[in-house]
Amino acid sequence: MKFTIQRELLLHALQLVIGVVERRQTLAVLSNILLKISNNQLHLVGTDLEVELTSHLTLIGDHVAGEITVPGRKFVDIVRSLSDEVMLEISDKNQNVIISSGRSRFTLTTLPAKDFPTSATLPNTIELTLKQTAFLVLLEQTYFAMAQQDVRYFLNGLLLELNDKKVRTVATDGHRLALCDLAMPLLSESTQVIIPRKGVMELLRLLNHNDDEISIKISTQSITLTTREFIFNSRLIDGRFPDYNKVIPKAGDKTVLIDKDLFKQVLNRVAILSNEKYHAVQIQLNAGLMAVIANNPEQEQAEEEVEIDYQGPVVNINFNVNYLIDAITALSTSSIKLTFSNPDSGVLIEGIGIDNVLYIVMPLRI
Amino acid sequence: MNNINNTSSWPRAIVFIDMNAFFASVEQLDYPEWRGRPIGITNGIQGTCIITCSYEARAYGVKTGMRLKQARHLCPDLLQVPTHPHRYAEVSRNIMHALQDISPDQEIFSVDECFLDVTHCQQLFGTPEQIGLLAKQKVFAASGLLCSVGVSGDKTTAKYAAKQFKPNGFSVIPPWESRERLKNVPVIELCGIGEGITQFLAKYGVRTCGDVAQLPISILGKRFGNIGRRIWYMCQGADPDPLHSYVADAKSMGHGKVMPPNTVDPNVIMTYLRHMCEKVARRLRKNNLQAQHFFIGLRSYDWGWMGNKGQTILPTDDGKMIFELGQKIISDHWTKIPVGQIQVTALDPQRANLQYDLFTTPDEKRTALNTIIDDINAHFGEFTIAPATLLQRSSMHNVIAPAWKPDGHRQSI
Repeated sequence: MKFTIQRELLLHALQLVIGVVERRQTLAVLSNILLKISNNQLHLVGTDLEVELTSHLTLIGDHVAGEITVPGRKFVDIVRSLSDEVMLEISDKNQNVIISSGRSRFTLTTLPAKDFPTSATLPNTIELTLKQTAFLVLLEQTYFAMAQQDVRYFLNGLLLELNDKKVRTVATDGHRLALCDLAMPLLSESTQVIIPRKGVMELLRLLNHNDDEISIKISTQSITLTTREFIFNSRLIDGRFPDYNKVIPKAGDKTVLIDKDLFKQVLNRVAILSNEKYHAVQIQLNAGLMAVIANNPEQEQAEEEVEIDYQGPVVNINFNVNYLIDAITALSTSSIKLTFSNPDSGVLIEGIGIDNVLYIVMPLRI
Repeated sequence: MNNINNTSSWPRAIVFIDMNAFFASVEQLDYPEWRGRPIGITNGIQGTCIITCSYEARAYGVKTGMRLKQARHLCPDLLQVPTHPHRYAEVSRNIMHALQDISPDQEIFSVDECFLDVTHCQQLFGTPEQIGLLAKQKVFAASGLLCSVGVSGDKTTAKYAAKQFKPNGFSVIPPWESRERLKNVPVIELCGIGEGITQFLAKYGVRTCGDVAQLPISILGKRFGNIGRRIWYMCQGADPDPLHSYVADAKSMGHGKVMPPNTVDPNVIMTYLRHMCEKVARRLRKNNLQAQHFFIGLRSYDWGWMGNKGQTILPTDDGKMIFELGQKIISDHWTKIPVGQIQVTALDPQRANLQYDLFTTPDEKRTALNTIIDDINAHFGEFTIAPATLLQRSSMHNVIAPAWKPDGHRQSI
């Protein structure tokens, strides 16, 4: 194997895949990146057995085909530390890989490519194409509500649902829920899969808001997303996502319209004096007035009032303020609608003028 | 500083009250025939470790923590007395309550020690010295027991002063003398300074409080953070620490027990496990807390702890839920080798039923059942009603926790 390439091109391709390579591994080859040259293409592959990332570059100069794995982090650090716009020559010799550039030479240990675990190509049941930015929006609107390390393992990921001419993402940790829809009039398939948290976080890092088309292939066990620059493959969480439709409050009758930025500022200010452990704030609705109140064990208190157009009954309800702020921050509209029902069910948060995004935050018992 | 007139009030006045050989004194109070005799308190009649002993026993060299056998060797007439934790708690509660008549600014430091901040009582009760004597009278009136009292301008110096004369001591160090009085005192004599800090200071050639004052505060701050900075002030008789009158929230809550040596019988282990789970659950409920993360483990003397942290689906205060988690953790981690100790600890106690969940609701039936069981047991004694598997357990005495406080979450171990 041998090839010559400009530093920037290689660095960019490496940075696309390095995110998935864990710093500490039990399996040595997993800290390596696979380099593979075939048909004038250089493929770089990183994996943690759950998420696999592949980037590719077209080679212009002379090159020799072959494949080998090198320590990922060290390889990236070397390429990054070399000067801008230099040319690198990379070749393998006696089970080492040598990176040469000007007067610098680095010799890296390698492991054979045949030991590198690559994902099996599974029969794809569903395939769809959509704009990169549209898919990124689906993720950005919902990812923050995913659970972190819940024993209900199916919550540690993002539900991707195709149904009823819509692509829908749903995330929930049991305390709050986020849902986002994208209409796709031509969609005929329907399915439900759960993408693990790590894969979702990796996609958020890799995707951009551009109009490039991306293709998504969903099989029973994995999801593959292909862009111009990289291929993302992730195993799916094998579990049943809870029936989220059942928990979307439908009987909410107490509605408040409020300016998003104003409400967010109020919450951020009041949160300063909320309990550091529970982050509780109290929301009180009275005719024409909303009060947001927080206090902490040091007996300090924050209180702020906002005029609202509300004539319903008095409401007194407590929330984890961070859950409210997360949801409001994600909304792109300038005004939002809060819908309350009874004191033990959640508040529904929606943007005015859009109907494809909704959030539910469950209250605190205080 | 010497121009401060003794008749004017002190800028800060702290009284420290330390009961003398508390458990032993209570026993001698309740059983007059034991007065004047060397007695050693053990956990039940089976206990082999001296929890504390009377001054008569101390004269023979008997010390807290000593094995009964060794103590008998030193003092053949030593009388073994089983503990009465409820009685000690009662006496302590009476004493602490009586002292609140002097000042509500009270920090209960342990079952037999407390601080009073009397800065604002000087107009009411006279000089700090007079208030210190008043404290002794209050303690005696409330309990019939003697105590040692130290009076000074900060907590550390007051505690040091109380240590000077025991039993029934009384010692006053006015704040303007504190620095000078502590100057030649070895640092390790101050409360809260242990081997680790002493060894660190020894590297700088520091042994006495006076030496510490010569050291730049930054050296202590860099190594020990705020505690280090506090030590620097403490050594100059100017401990800035305020009284902590409230009991801080529990950071964790656990129970452990020594099991019969080399236990390998899974049934025995499961009985102990259930017992510890029920105790942790009961204590969580008592404090209106729940937890979702638990450490559960068995200890082998050769291999150390075999166990792990685990998580329940929702935060819980139900012994059955914790036990089910424990069964799983132990079956995953116990290698069937002989073990001698068990531990169950709730790692993240939090307000019970705080956050509503979208998909799961608390089991109201279990909650109601536990409430009833707690009520019955509060009335008729701990474990009057218990899971049937606990019928096989040997009698396992509760031991009063050294950090016992009238309202605290630490009551027994």
